[in-house]
Amino acid sequence: MPKSQYVDPGKAFEAGYIHFEDIPVCQYNKTLAEEKKIYTKDDFLRIYRDMAIIREFETMLNDVKTKSNYNGVEYNNPGPAHLSIGQEASAVGEAYSLDINDFSFGSHRSHGEILAKGLSSIHKLTDEEVYDIMKEFLGGAVLSVVEKHMNAGGNVKELAINFLLYGALAEIFARKTGFNRGLGGSMHAFFIPFGLMPNNAIVGASAPIALGAALYKRSNNKPGIIISNCGDGATGRGPVLESFNFASMDQITKLWGMDGKYSDAGLPILFNVFNNHYGMGGQTRGETMGFDMVARLGAGFNPSQMHAERVNGYDPLAVIDAVSRKKELLLAGKGPALLDVVTYRVSGHSPSDSSTYRTAEEIEAWKAADPILAFKNKLGGGKIATENEIAKMHEDITARMTEVMKLAINDDISPRMDLNKEPDAISSIMFSNQKVVSMEPERKAEMIMPKEECPRVKEIKGKVRTATDANGKPVSKMKMYNVCDALFEPIIDKFYDDPTLIAYGEDNRDWGGAFGVYKKMTEAVPYHRFFNSPISESAIVGSAVGYAMCGGRAIVELMYADFIGCAGDEIFNQMAKWQAMSAGILKMPITLRVSVGSKYGAQHSQDWTALCAHIPGLKVVFPATPTDAKGLMTSALDGTDPVVFFESQRIYGFGEQFNKDGVPEGHFEIPFGEPDIKREGKDVTILTIGAVLYRALEAAKILEEKYGVSAEIIDARSIVPFNYEKVIESVKKTGKIILVGDACERNSVMRDMASNITEMCFDYLDGPAVVVGSRNWITPAFELEKSFFPQADWIIDALHEKIMPLPGHVPTNNFTDIEKVERAKLGL
Amino acid sequence: MATLVIMPRQGQSVESCIITAFNKKVGDTVEAGEVLFSYETDKSSFDEPAPVAGKILAIFREEGDDVPCLENVLVIGNDGEDFSEFIPKSEAEATPAAPVAESVPEAPMAEAAPVAEAIATTSAGGDFAISPRARLLAEKTHADLLKAVPTGPNGRIIERDVQRLVDMGLTVSPAAKDAYSSAVEGSGISGKVVLADLNAPAAQEAAPAAPATEYEDVKLPNIRKVIAKSMHQSLSTMAQLTLNTSFDATKLMALRASLKAGAEKMGIGNITLNDMVLFAVSRVLLNHKDLNAHYLDDTMRYFTNVNLGVAVDTPRGLMVPTVFAANKMTLNELSKSAKVVISAAQEGTINPDLLKGGSFTVTNLGSLGIESFTPVINPPQTGILGVGTITKRIKEVNGEDVTYPAMGLSLTFDHRALDGAPAAKFLKELVAALENFDLLLTK
Repeated sequence: MPKSQYVDPGKAFEAGYIHFEDIPVCQYNKTLAEEKKIYTKDDFLRIYRDMAIIREFETMLNDVKTKSNYNGVEYNNPGPAHLSIGQEASAVGEAYSLDINDFSFGSHRSHGEILAKGLSSIHKLTDEEVYDIMKEFLGGAVLSVVEKHMNAGGNVKELAINFLLYGALAEIFARKTGFNRGLGGSMHAFFIPFGLMPNNAIVGASAPIALGAALYKRSNNKPGIIISNCGDGATGRGPVLESFNFASMDQITKLWGMDGKYSDAGLPILFNVFNNHYGMGGQTRGETMGFDMVARLGAGFNPSQMHAERVNGYDPLAVIDAVSRKKELLLAGKGPALLDVVTYRVSGHSPSDSSTYRTAEEIEAWKAADPILAFKNKLGGGKIATENEIAKMHEDITARMTEVMKLAINDDISPRMDLNKEPDAISSIMFSNQKVVSMEPERKAEMIMPKEECPRVKEIKGKVRTATDANGKPVSKMKMYNVCDALFEPIIDKFYDDPTLIAYGEDNRDWGGAFGVYKKMTEAVPYHRFFNSPISESAIVGSAVGYAMCGGRAIVELMYADFIGCAGDEIFNQMAKWQAMSAGILKMPITLRVSVGSKYGAQHSQDWTALCAHIPGLKVVFPATPTDAKGLMTSALDGTDPVVFFESQRIYGFGEQFNKDGVPEGHFEIPFGEPDIKREGKDVTILTIGAVLYRALEAAKILEEKYGVSAEIIDARSIVPFNYEKVIESVKKTGKIILVGDACERNSVMRDMASNITEMCFDYLDGPAVVVGSRNWITPAFELEKSFFPQADWIIDALHEKIMPLPGHVPTNNFTDIEKVERAKLGL
Repeated sequence: MATLVIMPRQGQSVESCIITAFNKKVGDTVEAGEVLFSYETDKSSFDEPAPVAGKILAIFREEGDDVPCLENVLVIGNDGEDFSEFIPKSEAEATPAAPVAESVPEAPMAEAAPVAEAIATTSAGGDFAISPRARLLAEKTHADLLKAVPTGPNGRIIERDVQRLVDMGLTVSPAAKDAYSSAVEGSGISGKVVLADLNAPAAQEAAPAAPATEYEDVKLPNIRKVIAKSMHQSLSTMAQLTLNTSFDATKLMALRASLKAGAEKMGIGNITLNDMVLFAVSRVLLNHKDLNAHYLDDTMRYFTNVNLGVAVDTPRGLMVPTVFAANKMTLNELSKSAKVVISAAQEGTINPDLLKGGSFTVTNLGSLGIESFTPVINPPQTGILGVGTITKRIKEVNGEDVTYPAMGLSLTFDHRALDGAPAAKFLKELVAALENFDLLLTK
């Protein structure tokens, strides 16, 4: 909602028509003579060879899966194998004009893409470059195998082909010498030095990640384009369509240039759909989709129709032609683009596919049109190569593949990770745990004005950094430094310190973030680093993942924590997992801000810390004071791990009540995992998560004044990681603990911590560790919230009923075991 | 082949019996029929005769043990015979459990170790709940947990309860604790030490250390505990109310005198005044079903017949044997039946099943000169009639004061089951029946 763009009612109601351009459908029509002018014999032969290598690789895997035998070598591979026999021309055609600066992301059916782009990269790199890459990679672990055990005749390119085939196959067979130590596997194999970015077992999940990579190229002025590969089935997925739109959004070309100060280029991304007609067994054209042709989708997203085109994916030269033209377009700043590459998957969805959804006749017809056979005929007919040359090529490929397979299944040469000998092998890569102030220290951050001139920075300068003044009087709201300011400070600092930092989400820019954290940040940060995203939660989080994979740092926002569900896959499967799935090669410096609401009912008031804490690979924090908000945000932004940063709308306006010296100025870090004692006591420990801290304080006051019970309050601050030592010490002292949070009680973080504390402090406990959470209901309207969210009297009643009866206390809430059993029976 | 002697089951409702005394020890020779040991149920005591002659090869229990019915007690046989198959499982388990105490670490705590063991055993028996923290504090401070007043939820002893003991100086020296805990004989199932065991011997053992003691603590017999429990439960759970009245016993006494005179001639037994009251109750009660009933939470169980409980003072304490279907008996039959169960109760040989099932109870303290009293209902019955002594009273007859023998009646009823008026009506009808006993007999 930039003010510069006037929404004119007159124009809004203007009569007229929407005009579409024709979308080309299989319009490639170059003659052999024309092609011969473009491609040399070597080019023709290399195109053929690359397709044949892919075919042989997939045939080998198919044989292993179905017969446990390839070319006389026995092996059993229990893992997945989604093969792309039939799609070789599409893959080779796509890779032909790409180089290592062009990053490609793919699907679960990506062996062909990996090999094609790998072979193309090897061809384009010099011997020296390619050797250096191999030598550097994983300390030469992959290279040393092929160097030692295969004869490349002293030819670096041949060695590199062995390297590529072996690294990919060892990865598929879960060997430690695979490209990702065997932790990615068949559906996730990748090799970044060749611009081969992670492939994804979740259909369509690569689209928002690729989008993020394009944002990285665009916002950081990096060379190259992004290829987002998926199948036609994936176009039914929200994240894919969200990405089409996100990449097409007007602001990139209309606003990001900021009147010529910055680039106004479109996103350099090609959404390439390998249209093999099926999503598993569902037939897209004619059954599960309505687009008739994938290319039609382009017309729905922007006036340039995403430059959509439908191409014959059985003709490698047609695909080369299309991709080259799209690459040119993207480099000229005219992105995004969409290609509908028509192909066919002769192999089943997986080797267990019995093709119940298609006829034998159909498969035979496509086999007859085999792209490799057709290209071979072209080479023969066009007198480009002889039968013998081609037969020799096939012989070589089969021999090479057999050799690679023997190496990859040899347990001595290609061992699996031994988690008995190296029990920390996976533990050590779940998080990267680094502190990196700038992801690109040598580059200066692009900002509109010096930090001192930033209006918000100036405003904060005049604020009082405590909740009460020297005389103990409350500071006025206007003058008080609050949680919003505390979040803003480290973020604006990071914008100046790290040129790669970008921030986006819904209503971030002009609105200042829905809750005012980014107020007046618009004035200081240029659009390409700070913008309003479409209401596309999957694309917001997914793109941050891609942005981070490429080496950038992102802070993205989901407004309400309840929207975590809209970005479920991106948070739980992508953001959380890629560091470990890449064997630690990738870093994931993402801070995902989510805000826990109140007053807004069932779908805008939920504390979903437990969902995030459950997924290995995510760090989860939930500060409740300005000092903690600043310290933890600083740590989140300095770190290299994905952080789900919970905030609470109840306390954005709160000042600092605990830190007498006020919220520290300048760079101030609070390490993750350290709970903080907010009030010392000796009789009972209250461990709080999030904004409930203030209700616990109320309870402590009543306990002290009315019952003479001294409560110690510990604010968890972090959830993952979490250091129990301070809590254990406290429980040893008090013998009693109540865990409180605003999350629904069942399976909450409090429950998990209570169970751990009981295990660790059993002998010191004077009663069970008691959890006080919200009811297992929907969140009712604001007026009824006191019956839903934990209140001070709930804490006192829980203590009275479950741990230590308080003389004279009459509980008003039912914390008895009978009630608990009854509620549980009813699922409440 | 050795012969096993088990704890017999005395009545279907009996689950375990307490061995009160062994007459023989291991190595003794016994004749068939000689008493091996005595034992008691909640309400009766018995002697167990030797089924065969032979030598006592093993005794698995000790005096005071609460032995579940049908479990092994001892073995009789010839010297050298193998009896290992008879060793009770529980004993085999109990033995290895002992060394646990020795493994409790830390030198200064070593002496307190047996205490910890005792507490742990007690706790495991479910006799009292204690938080881990309170237990730890008790171990450290040697607090006398037996004196703890639990204030935690569900009667749990929590830290502050132990702290209070410490503050009050209620601690025991490790040595003393050791002494009394090792002297304990378990009275729980399988000889398990329960809190009660710790309590009594603790005081006994402590006695020599405090010569000034001028009292004697005697362990409560089981029957006393049962009485205590049922009396307390009766008073604490019911809404009891007592109505007092008396009746003119002139005719009743005359009738009794004539019955006594003609007893031998008529072949009838000694009919007592109490028998006559029982008879009247058995007849009148059928007209007042709320009093011939059990009050069971949400239902009333009305009895077709009058199963009359007769309270009996025995050397062991109060027992209430039942005369079933008293309403169907003649006065003579009722009198005889009552005598049989009363003497069995007094001798302690009564079948425990006869100590249950009463629908109404009569208790008589008249022989002890009590005029009126407040009898306590035997739950779940709804009423009990107390019979007092006979006193001289004056009434006006034709303008003149005339003395007459008045016999006191006290009816306690459960106000939950019935209201005052119906209870009073029962008393009124009973008084009428007793004052006109000859008419009642001829009915």
